[in-house]
Amino acid sequence: MVSILETTPTEQPRWHLPGDINIWVFVLADLFSFAFYFVVFMVYRIEHGSVFLDSQRHLNLTTGALNTLVLLASSRFVALAVQTARTGDYRRATRLVSLGGLCGILFTLIKSYEWFREIADGFTLPRNEFFMFYFSITGVHLFHVLIGLLVLALILRELREPSLRRASMVEAGAIYWHMVDLVWIVIFALLYLAR
Amino acid sequence: MTGATAALPARVSARDDQRSPKLDLWICWWVFPAFYTLFGLIFVVLTRVMPPPRPGVGVDQINSFFHAHGTTIKLGFALLMVFIGLASVTNGLVAFQMKRMSVKPIFTYAYIATLAVGAVPGALFAAFAFLAAVFRPDRDPHLVALLYDVGLLTFVGSLGCFTTNYLVLALAIALDKNKVFPMWMAYITFWQIATELLAAPVFVFQKGAFAWNGAISFYEGTVIFVVFLGCLIVLLRRAIQQQPMDELVQD
Repeated sequence: MVSILETTPTEQPRWHLPGDINIWVFVLADLFSFAFYFVVFMVYRIEHGSVFLDSQRHLNLTTGALNTLVLLASSRFVALAVQTARTGDYRRATRLVSLGGLCGILFTLIKSYEWFREIADGFTLPRNEFFMFYFSITGVHLFHVLIGLLVLALILRELREPSLRRASMVEAGAIYWHMVDLVWIVIFALLYLAR
Repeated sequence: MTGATAALPARVSARDDQRSPKLDLWICWWVFPAFYTLFGLIFVVLTRVMPPPRPGVGVDQINSFFHAHGTTIKLGFALLMVFIGLASVTNGLVAFQMKRMSVKPIFTYAYIATLAVGAVPGALFAAFAFLAAVFRPDRDPHLVALLYDVGLLTFVGSLGCFTTNYLVLALAIALDKNKVFPMWMAYITFWQIATELLAAPVFVFQKGAFAWNGAISFYEGTVIFVVFLGCLIVLLRRAIQQQPMDELVQD
């Protein structure tokens, strides 16, 4: 935004869309899906208030909060990787993307542990309306994390090979990864925290 | 006879090329919106499969549903049996455009195969279950209820063929270097996959957002399918317009 204001009228504004238009179509479409899940969740929450509140108490807030921190850290690493890749320091960008990916794997492990504990305690998907939403929404989110890990792996492959390096690819992957992070924050707030 | 037919193609194609180039492709393209409009009319207006009636109802209500809609179910699904074959023309057109892509034709074969198999649980099974339910109005009401469940569970819950179908189409578009379809269509197709996955709980729930008439398992998936279909029809039109007349398509 600053760069637009600084340009003189005769110059072309140096506004740059990160990634490309295609990734934005996908991210906005996907956000629409999640927004729809959240609205439906809220409608059912209003209808079955007491069931939702009782069930929510059985969620593990510590693992939820830990996963939020892990994913935020991951997003930070990926954002730094984009900045570093733009300056041409691909070795450092590779390290940062790897760190982001490791955080993503850690998120998956913590999530699996959390699910395992809940299922072991008898809180399974068919138990009630709340757990139906809990497993479905966190499941779809986890599916997005796994796709994100695949995307980060593809970026790593490109960063290691000088002929394949494209800053736009790193940007597009980062946009997707930030979306996964953003969606998780809303999930954490709605499913774990909102009373 | 043989000599006459052998001489014919060259003469006809020279004239034909000038008058209506790509007529064959345009005929197939028009089948696409026509077929899906008819499909929508049959499933929404006539047979009442979409939006699906409620899963958590008693035997009496199920039987009165079939009594109320018996005639339109027969009419609608009889129409479907006449026209269902047109689905192969629409799939053939997409498969043909996929063959123009730089990817190996395996994606095309998988695309055709998944939809050919998917037509059975995705449309035909439901149609025959409903047709059987209204065929003998004096049938044991519990058996009619069984046909209701079978019809609607297969219709909303048939996932595997379609997720694979979207996956091969999305991958083909994403990996294609000829840019037959724009990259965003690959993303729209990927987007479809996640919504299909959320229809999996229909086998568990009789009410709520994840039942077969639920906001998430049915309505969201259907809205996104309509968006996907609209994009596909528009992009197929563009692809046909941009396709060079003398282009050779791989076998």
